[in-house]
Amino acid sequence: MLLILDILTTAGILFVVSIGLLAVFGVLKIINFAHGAWLTIGAYCAVVAAKLGLNPWAALPLAFVIGGALGGLAEHFIIRPLYRRPLDAILATWGLGIVIGQLITLGFGRDVQMTPNLFSGTVEVFGADYSAYRLVALGAAVVIGVAFALTIEGTRLGLSARAVIMNETLARGLGIDTARVRLFTFMIGAGLAALAGVLLTPLTSVDPNMGVSWLIGAFMLVMVADASFLALGVACLVFGAAQVLISTFVSPILGSIAIAVLAALVLRISPKGFSRA
Amino acid sequence: MSDAARQSADSRGGALTLDGVTSGYGAVSIVKGVSLKVAPGEIVALLGKNGMGKTTLLKTILGMVGLRGGAIAVDGVSVAGLSPAKLVALGVGYAPQEQPLFQDLSIRDNLRLAVSSDRLLPAALERVFGHFPFLADRLAQRAGTLSGGEQKMLILARALMLKPRLLLIDEISEGLQPSVVDRIAAALSAERAASGATMLIVEQNLDFALRVADRWAVLKLGEIDDEGATSPDARERILRHLSV
Repeated sequence: MLLILDILTTAGILFVVSIGLLAVFGVLKIINFAHGAWLTIGAYCAVVAAKLGLNPWAALPLAFVIGGALGGLAEHFIIRPLYRRPLDAILATWGLGIVIGQLITLGFGRDVQMTPNLFSGTVEVFGADYSAYRLVALGAAVVIGVAFALTIEGTRLGLSARAVIMNETLARGLGIDTARVRLFTFMIGAGLAALAGVLLTPLTSVDPNMGVSWLIGAFMLVMVADASFLALGVACLVFGAAQVLISTFVSPILGSIAIAVLAALVLRISPKGFSRA
Repeated sequence: MSDAARQSADSRGGALTLDGVTSGYGAVSIVKGVSLKVAPGEIVALLGKNGMGKTTLLKTILGMVGLRGGAIAVDGVSVAGLSPAKLVALGVGYAPQEQPLFQDLSIRDNLRLAVSSDRLLPAALERVFGHFPFLADRLAQRAGTLSGGEQKMLILARALMLKPRLLLIDEISEGLQPSVVDRIAAALSAERAASGATMLIVEQNLDFALRVADRWAVLKLGEIDDEGATSPDARERILRHLSV
């Protein structure tokens, strides 16, 4: 039973970390390699919130707003001029990620930062103690997933974003302001990445390069999901399960590379990944 | 359409003026110095064989293909360099030929994408249900599951949603059975009678074009080869251009 909880909570965390990257990939058709840097920005929002004496939970909206605003600036000044050169845009996000990492180092130093627990202690599940925070993280993943789905299915921005994903030329021809859709999507994607950064703080050490390791997994999951929201959920469950099972029964080191290896295998067999699931 | 009939229609159609329009892709110019005037409430058919630049010209007017030379004006105001979003906001409707629908979206969502706000949706839907009543009962149906003729009617309905002043229509009758062509021709005529909309229709179906249009122009290798009114001798004259 605990193994199932481990799988579910791992899948939830992977989902939270990847969803912003998926949104940007779907609409802008580029992989935002600065996604890891936005996770880090979010985590440092938690650090700043703690230093300011704010409630630890206040870091969540703070990170979403700051991450979204910085994402808007990055889209407008760095990515938008490179829309017709997607490869250059991707390289620019890579460079941006490095710059953000250095700026954070400049401001906060290289040391690992301490953040207060968002939710401490354990709860008894089927007679065994289980981390309360991992369950909270799973709940957060469900809330974020539902909110994302409602935005996609129930709002005009969501409809416009789906139209841009399906056929950007037609969307433009119908008068949809695709530049605005891209801007808002990037802001939401960046905001969600920063939100995920706060949620990661109790699970990982906070340092200027913390986002890099999460970026690799998120990148592979998005490649397998191929811009499909449902496929991302399936990919997180399947690869999260593989990671937990391999870590538990074989080796934690192998478990940590399970996602990258399995995603590469899936894409070798089916280039569209899970998106046809 | 007679002058009297045109005057009786609500004269809200926009005048389209193309003056030496040149455009294309990459290093190649597809449209070369096209000049054409479409009066308010007039329907002009743009004819020509495949690859002559008809679709590129429509996309240039809509701002989807960059203008390399010349001028484009709606009601005397230059629209060169405006984005498609701005042109649509000015009252330009577009019914494309290539990948014209979001196949995986519902009929309702396909129509909804044509309006800038959901507040405008009920009235706009009522408008197009008047032209194509079958859409009203099938709003939840996926657009990709419609028959070819129904898809064409949905494309036209979407272009009519915002009561456009200028309609750009790309080969709407292509591959359709005569009964559907009749319904589309009737919808275009009814729309002009009701709203006075100006229309530039790209066509390969000569019968359809001569039936709905007031004037025609033949595009050949990106240039206007000939133009005239849809008079009784027009067919023979146009066929001479198309057969060469």
